[in-house]
Amino acid sequence: MERDPDRPVPEQAMLARFMPMHLLLDREGRVLGAGPTLRRMLQRPDLAGARFEDLFEVRAPGGAVTADQVLARAGHRFRLVARNGVRAGLRGMGERLPDGRMLMNLSFGIDLIAAVRELGLTDADFVATDLAMELLYLAEANAAVTRELRGLNLRLEGARLAAEEEALTDPLTGLRNRRAADLVLARLCAARMPFGLLHLDLDYFKSVNDTLGHAAGDHVLEVVGRILRAELRVEDCAARIGGDEFLVLVVKRVDLQVLRGIADRIIQRISAPIPVAGKVAQVSASIGIVRSSDLAAPDPVRLMALADRALYAAKRAGRGRSIRLRSAAD
Amino acid sequence: MDALMLRFLQGYVRGTFGVPVWQTICRRADLPVETFEPMLRYAPGLADQVAAEAAAVLGRPVETIWEDLGTYLVTSPGHEGVRRLLRFGGIGYADFLHSLEELPGRARLALPDLDLPDLDLPEIRLTEIAPDRFVLDCRAGLRGTIRVLVGMLTAMADDFGTLCLIEAEGEGRIAIRILDRAHAAARPFDLALPEG
Repeated sequence: MERDPDRPVPEQAMLARFMPMHLLLDREGRVLGAGPTLRRMLQRPDLAGARFEDLFEVRAPGGAVTADQVLARAGHRFRLVARNGVRAGLRGMGERLPDGRMLMNLSFGIDLIAAVRELGLTDADFVATDLAMELLYLAEANAAVTRELRGLNLRLEGARLAAEEEALTDPLTGLRNRRAADLVLARLCAARMPFGLLHLDLDYFKSVNDTLGHAAGDHVLEVVGRILRAELRVEDCAARIGGDEFLVLVVKRVDLQVLRGIADRIIQRISAPIPVAGKVAQVSASIGIVRSSDLAAPDPVRLMALADRALYAAKRAGRGRSIRLRSAAD
Repeated sequence: MDALMLRFLQGYVRGTFGVPVWQTICRRADLPVETFEPMLRYAPGLADQVAAEAAAVLGRPVETIWEDLGTYLVTSPGHEGVRRLLRFGGIGYADFLHSLEELPGRARLALPDLDLPDLDLPEIRLTEIAPDRFVLDCRAGLRGTIRVLVGMLTAMADDFGTLCLIEAEGEGRIAIRILDRAHAAARPFDLALPEG
């Protein structure tokens, strides 16, 4: 091993203090000394005298193997990986000193965080002028802020969904409201999806309100809501669109037998006496039925107009029944 | 700063005294909400107002509540991030104290968006009177800030294993006296964030 006897030891100590990741090589590329952090990374008791190319694989400049080749080709910036299995890469610069020795200063570069974790480095492994601590700080602060933002997003999304649900729900019956029914109807028409539409109006509801009071009326509406939910599938839409007026959209069902069956079952159940506060409320329902297939081009406004007329016909025919109009001409 | 302080106060009161106590405080303060979002904006001074209600409900001086909040931020496992970010300030407690002047700069580095006049980051100035005596001056829009700092400085002294005398001296000034730098073992601090 080559060592200049004229150079006192403090030079090494000084280098180690200012550059804890320096590597000092003799003119043949054998290790004369290394900074404490780099020694910690290489973990070799026999580091002195080891050859540069046995310690490191050169990733850039391409084709360089020895320290001499690295410095000759890209002394201002090169990349290395230790051969001892440490995954964190190294970035460095170096120069041949006037006496022929080679001095390199290495750093973890962008692999800093991985290196800190892999090697268990502490703040004592970095010098005060190194921005490593700032980078670690920044990464951690950033992770904390990102976590906080993700939490905020989740909470806002939850609040948004709850508000949306509330805006589409009739609070008394738990059914959809008019706005929701309009949206579903428009969507079904736009998608050219076949469906049946039942327009339902309670019979004798006014007399319940008049004789038993509004609380009893509200109770009847709640019971109707439960009946509609029970008689329909989840993909169907049942909405309260007015005081005692309901709209039912039966998705993918245009068979008249089926729709009549649903309407009659609903009427039958609503017509059963409803006990309320020790008394009995007796209502019934009239239903107008239309099908998306009744119109060549289904359109919400025209379908509703048709359903309205069917409902009116049902009322006129004596209530407690369902009526289907064949076309606008009926 | 109000948003951050309100969020911290919410976590501290709910975690220490329970959710119903926090709800009572919010009702008394006439707040439309019971949860605060640290990334949103609230009326300047709202945190002081809510803290005053907390003081009334808990029957303790508002200064004590702010100081306890500062301690809670450093010591509660749920806020390990706060303690870690503070520990990045230095190897020893004196280093850490000096790093406090850099705190607004660090915050701006992490969140460039913070550099808005209405965010009102505290201004911190540390004067070293003697190697073991410091004076910290803090100018902040929130009255509680200085007390939160007292709580945090006290808890961080424990974290570094340093024995200190820390006292608020009037509005906006803290006197710190280091009595024993190696009073106890420092809590361990890994530079790398634990994975997962």
